[in-house]
Amino acid sequence: MTAGYIQAKNVNLTFTPPNRAPVTALQEFDVAVAEREFVSIVGPSGCGKSTFLNVLLGLVKPDSGEMSIHGKRVAGPGRDRAMVFQEFGLLPWRTVEDNIGLGPELQGIPKKQRRERGRHFIDMVGLSGFEHHFPHELSGGMKQRVGIARALVSDPDVLLMDEPFAALDAQTRDIMQAELLRIWQEAKKTVLFVTHQIEEAVYLSDRVIIMTKRPGRTKSILKIPLARPRGYEMRVTPEFNELKLRIWNELKDEIDSQGGPVRD
Amino acid sequence: MSNRHASNETTAVTRKTFWETNEPLILGVGFIVLVIVLWQIVPSFFTMSKGMKLFFATPTMVFTAIGDLIASGKLWPALRFSSSAFAAGLALAIVAALPLGVLMGRSRLMNELFDPFVTAINATPRLVFLPLIIIWFGIGMTSVIVVVFIGALFPLLINTYEGVKNADRLLINVVRSYGASEWDINRLVVIPNSLPYIISGLRLAIGRAVLGVVVAEFFGGSAKGIGVIMVQASSSFQVDLVFAGLIIFMALSLVLTGIVRAIETRFNRWRPEKAKTF
Ligand SMILES: Nc1ncnc2c1ncn2[C@@H]1O[C@H](COP(=O)(O)OP(=O)(O)OP(=O)(O)O)[C@@H](O)[C@H]1O
Ligand SMILES: [Mg+2]
Repeated sequence: MTAGYIQAKNVNLTFTPPNRAPVTALQEFDVAVAEREFVSIVGPSGCGKSTFLNVLLGLVKPDSGEMSIHGKRVAGPGRDRAMVFQEFGLLPWRTVEDNIGLGPELQGIPKKQRRERGRHFIDMVGLSGFEHHFPHELSGGMKQRVGIARALVSDPDVLLMDEPFAALDAQTRDIMQAELLRIWQEAKKTVLFVTHQIEEAVYLSDRVIIMTKRPGRTKSILKIPLARPRGYEMRVTPEFNELKLRIWNELKDEIDSQGGPVRD
Repeated sequence: MSNRHASNETTAVTRKTFWETNEPLILGVGFIVLVIVLWQIVPSFFTMSKGMKLFFATPTMVFTAIGDLIASGKLWPALRFSSSAFAAGLALAIVAALPLGVLMGRSRLMNELFDPFVTAINATPRLVFLPLIIIWFGIGMTSVIVVVFIGALFPLLINTYEGVKNADRLLINVVRSYGASEWDINRLVVIPNSLPYIISGLRLAIGRAVLGVVVAEFFGGSAKGIGVIMVQASSSFQVDLVFAGLIIFMALSLVLTGIVRAIETRFNRWRPEKAKTF
């Protein structure tokens, strides 16, 4: 594969917690993503997906390996990237509005503009009326939507999404998936999307990366040749189910020997 | 602090009754009143010799003594002196402890540099510094301020450090990912996150600061404060006046703790309220 827009080569990372056995989360992990591509990562729980996103985000330094985005080496966080965190990571002392305004605030955008831009995304994720609520006053799914809005509002080139829809009900999830696809196409973003839901991965992605169990490596990569725009009906076509089954079979071997949540 | 661990409990929106909102105040004040009443009437059940009576004072005597202090114009200058020393010492301690605590909590180097020093001084009874302080700063306001400062510094410093060290790693990472500088990290996450620690440090510091004022004045730190009035009164067996001083210090501590609680409430708006339990 030629050098990608997002390029990670031979990434190794071993956690060495004090008084515990070292854990190798990533071993010789390679990823190449083209500009404006939508790539999903699936793999057993604990295989190193979140760790990889943290590395790409510039929060965690790998032991070795080369990562670059748009030809620029990744060495610390940057404004070209934003992450939707698996554990939401909302500041509990800030209202919904001020949580969403975090990125723009740190970019030095004045309060009034921040609010305006924030409002648009608050509406988009269906949280209007909750602008002045604190995180503890929200449900899990609502918190997750705040996290999504916060990442989108800072308008990054690269969106890293760590199981962003895991806490949503089926209907909201459908709406958010459609919104995400719309934003991805309109705003020309590159998306790296971690999920445990095979159906979601097939529905959204250009390609799906299947990881092995820990230490995480690329087991295989599956192209999703379904036409876009994709509608809900596509999910019941034989091609769609064929792709789901292939991913499911690849994952099965990894899960069997370890156990972990894989749903379809 | 009491709400800190209630995050797993849901918030119920209910209108509170008069009793529910004022319960702590009613119970707290009620108990004090009870103690004062008992203090007044219990001694009358015993017969005491004239000599014994010299060592006791009833609440009425104590409040008369406070009234006399006010009437003679002695109270205000003394109160002003003691509270100025208190305020200046505490303010200096806050200004010094917060940045140093954040620095020690955030930087391994700073921690390694200061930690043994802080631990050593904190383990030393502060009383041993008193003669030195009086030699260095003389008798007067400065010495009292220094004693208050040293007393208040350590609880604030140690609590701030503890709070900063326990700041949420995930939240720090979140703001870092949006390009936060070290200063932003402290402003957006570390300080709000360690506020409960800082406030309980402040509570301890107020106690130590009041103690500092009394002790410094007792041992000749000044000739003007409430503590001095108490020392002079006790050497002439004016027990009512000693109690009067004590009551004044207690009232001061109560007011200050009330202020801290108000600050705490102001900063705790984002915390979940405790829901009703079965
Ligand atoms: N800070 C850390 N210290 C020590 N070990 C860690 C740390 N973070 C992650 N690990 C370990 O690294 C491995 C990979 O973790 P990671 O969070 O990347 O998994 P994941 O693929 O995202 O799993 P899930 O699908 O359950 O979210 C796990 O075994 C985990 O225990
Ligand atoms: Mg994860």
